[in-house]
Amino acid sequence: MIKIELETGGSVWKVLTKPGQRVEAGEILFILEVMKMEVPYEAPISGEVLAVHFSEGDAVEEDQLAVEIAE
Amino acid sequence: MNWKAETDEIAQRRQLALEQGGTDAIAKHHGKGKLTIRERVDKLLDSGSFEEIGPTAGAANYDENGELDSFDPANFVLGFGQVEGRRIIVGGEDFTMRGGSPSPAGLRKSIYAEELAVQYKLPLVRLHEGSGGSVGGTSGKGGASLPGPVNAPARFRSVAEAMATVPVATAALGAVAGLPAGRLVASHFSVMSKATAQILTAGPAVVARAMGEQKTKDELGGWKVHTKNGTVDNGAADETECLTQIQRFLSFMPPNIEQLAPVIDCDDPVDRTDEALLDIIPRDRRQAFDMRRIIRSVFDQESFFEMGAGYGRSQITGLARLNGQPVGVWANNCKFLAGSMTADGAHKARRFMELCETFSLPIASLVDEPGFMIGSQAEREATIRHGTSAVLTAAMTTVPWASIMIRRSFGVAQAAHYGPNGYVLAWPSAESGPLPVEGGVAVAFQREIAAAPDPEARRRELEEELSARQSPFPRAEALGVHDLIDPRETRTELCRWVDRIQPLLPALLGPARFSIRP
Repeated sequence: MIKIELETGGSVWKVLTKPGQRVEAGEILFILEVMKMEVPYEAPISGEVLAVHFSEGDAVEEDQLAVEIAE
Repeated sequence: MNWKAETDEIAQRRQLALEQGGTDAIAKHHGKGKLTIRERVDKLLDSGSFEEIGPTAGAANYDENGELDSFDPANFVLGFGQVEGRRIIVGGEDFTMRGGSPSPAGLRKSIYAEELAVQYKLPLVRLHEGSGGSVGGTSGKGGASLPGPVNAPARFRSVAEAMATVPVATAALGAVAGLPAGRLVASHFSVMSKATAQILTAGPAVVARAMGEQKTKDELGGWKVHTKNGTVDNGAADETECLTQIQRFLSFMPPNIEQLAPVIDCDDPVDRTDEALLDIIPRDRRQAFDMRRIIRSVFDQESFFEMGAGYGRSQITGLARLNGQPVGVWANNCKFLAGSMTADGAHKARRFMELCETFSLPIASLVDEPGFMIGSQAEREATIRHGTSAVLTAAMTTVPWASIMIRRSFGVAQAAHYGPNGYVLAWPSAESGPLPVEGGVAVAFQREIAAAPDPEARRRELEEELSARQSPFPRAEALGVHDLIDPRETRTELCRWVDRIQPLLPALLGPARFSIRP
């Protein structure tokens, strides 16, 4: 299982996946807005999304757990 | 009568020295997944190239008949050796004896490392695992060691001199505390093993006693702490990778400040273009791009060696080659806090520029700087002071610079990315000015926007109008850049620059105007 943690704080602009969904490596999972920039986070592996730990519009912090993916 | 008895004893002492802390201590050390200092040295160096200094230094113990009974070697191993055919000085604590806390002879050898490196003008590699002095002194509780005299040479002078003279690379391979921790960071490149190392100003017992804080070694000083705060430049999976990274670092460096970095043969064509660079920068200014992808494309293939990826993450620093010529690479990472100049990013950039200046490495700068980081945290971190320090460091450098304006170049902070008399090229996506339009318009035209029938539309209109002025075309018309270039031809342009600056490099050799400090 892979846990994706946030590199920076910011706000969640778009969530493009949901639990149960199958994703391919490189697919964009969600986009943060940080300092007026959109920062996409890609799936590091292909697999099934187990959990998404925030919703669009949420304020988030550095190191926060974002998404969990099972191979 | 000959000297056979004595030569036998020399051989015997040398053999005993190789036994280090003894079979049990070595087995225990291996049991923790760690290499001994002699294994580390062998792994770092070209096979058979180690020439040891002071293998017979240590404490001899004699039996009743005055015969040699046992020999405790100095617990610091030191010598000359070669890495990829180039000579260096290497040394490190022997953790299998006294946990690396210096024995009297061990301390002498340890201090000698920097002096040797300066004297022979050779790069210094220190492989650290050990603690500092013991409260009982190097001779232990019963020892009657004298304190140093007032006229003793300043203890850390040679450490500072080494940093101003030769490349210094260090690794934390086990627990490194006290004095060795100080020496670890007194380096141009440091790396720690995630599997086995901790770096501690003071260990858990001392911390618990003084601070009442109960923490493990890893919580206090494991890689998660120290690769993120800049104590070390890099983390590595294990000891072997630490040594590989040091070899990699040294491959870019000259042996000392009086020589230029080695230029190697390059089979990556200088005129290699990359179609992907045409659309790597999104036209929508809110969308981020992958600066490391640009770096990998522009510099010689596989040559980029990043240093400090874990901290000051809005800035990317490292070494790479252009047509075989080693250069420093500095770029912004817009995926982290928009690539802005944070306090730790500025510190990282300053140290990096000082490294390049010390060893006469040209700097290639890929600019996407939105300005100093703002907000309450940035104010608490004294961002303006650290940022200005980076700006003034750039202004004082004498090495050649090439700066490619990739996207944003704003405010005071952008000045740090351009050296004096630097060669400046702009991509069509370049924007520059006092501050980015998105923030600036809302503030500067506050009243006008508020008074408009549709304030939101007026704000967008003003932003469009002003961003046109920030385009690179008027800048090029005013000779504000040397040229506008097709992004696909960036590598070719930079390789031409490297060829052009060759005659300037020899004049840079010798002591730098300012040298690097930790």
